[in-house]
Amino acid sequence: QEFQFGPCRVEGVVLQKLWQAFWAMKDIVQAQDNITSVRLLRKEVLHNVSETESCHLIHALLRFYVNTVFKLYHDKAAEFGVLKSFSALANNFFVIVSKLQASQEKMFSTHESARRRFLLFYRAFKQLDRESAVTKAFGEMDILLSWMEKFYQL
Amino acid sequence: DGVAVLPAPQNLSVQSTNMKHVLTWSPVIVPEEIIHYSVEYQGEYESLYMSHIWIPSSWCSPTQRPECDITEDITATVSYSLRVRATLGSLTSAWSTLKHRFNQNSTILTPPGMEITMDGFHLLIKLEDLGPHFEFFVSYWRREPGAKEHVKVVRPGVLPVYLETVEPGAAYCVKARTFVKAIGRHSAFSQTECVKVQGEALPL
Repeated sequence: QEFQFGPCRVEGVVLQKLWQAFWAMKDIVQAQDNITSVRLLRKEVLHNVSETESCHLIHALLRFYVNTVFKLYHDKAAEFGVLKSFSALANNFFVIVSKLQASQEKMFSTHESARRRFLLFYRAFKQLDRESAVTKAFGEMDILLSWMEKFYQL
Repeated sequence: DGVAVLPAPQNLSVQSTNMKHVLTWSPVIVPEEIIHYSVEYQGEYESLYMSHIWIPSSWCSPTQRPECDITEDITATVSYSLRVRATLGSLTSAWSTLKHRFNQNSTILTPPGMEITMDGFHLLIKLEDLGPHFEFFVSYWRREPGAKEHVKVVRPGVLPVYLETVEPGAAYCVKARTFVKAIGRHSAFSQTECVKVQGEALPL
């Protein structure tokens, strides 16, 4: 049970636990997202990502989730009574980012295409008002987890 | 109640064995009164990004016993802060916080219990069910000079496990240990157990 994002390996995170945490709050979280015409993690961000690109991309995405999305969504999580699931995801994303950080430093190649993909996501996020953007990003974690699952080895 | 101030619980500590984590503390004693306790936790994420945030424990907010099973609250391999306070009616004590943060990678891993059985000429092993975190590495060999040791990885929930088809009159030995991927650690090996197969050894 480990993630292998190209050259970047991440142990110590049980993907099933992340899914369980998200499923426990999925309905209440996604019900708050009223902008159904927009998708932040769209095809151009996640499809056909190369192996080495995947490490850069997941690092950028999860770092954004840890530093921005979770921080801004916390009060809503408390309001909806889903702090436990919120904490499980936040702390496990924090573990992944910390371990990817170490791998990143060993990877000298900069990945312009991974950065472009992240910027597609980031610009879409910025085009929405902050509350809607955070709600949508938080609700799209199943898209993110599904993509991460491709790199998970039992 | 005759109690001006309720003392805070003392001597907080965590006992963790095989990924089961229990927080304990010294009870707060007020004669002829029932004290309730509340437990809260904070992962590394909360400590770093929102240190004012504490999350009520799943099973112990509140509880009457001076202990709390926090296994379900520890959902990542990061360090956790834990705190407890006492309540008596409208009186509430100060929070007591665990002195050293807890990380599940410090859990004590014990050798697994196991039972070796025979089903005809099939050597089987039944392993202690320790929960979804645990895989087992089972080593087995035929007890004779120069015998090769085989290793089989057993996933959680698969019981009993077929090891080998044995020969009459021969003896076979088995030992096992656990492995927890979430923390990347394994236990010591269990005691080796050997069984002798009934019947006459086959002529060479």
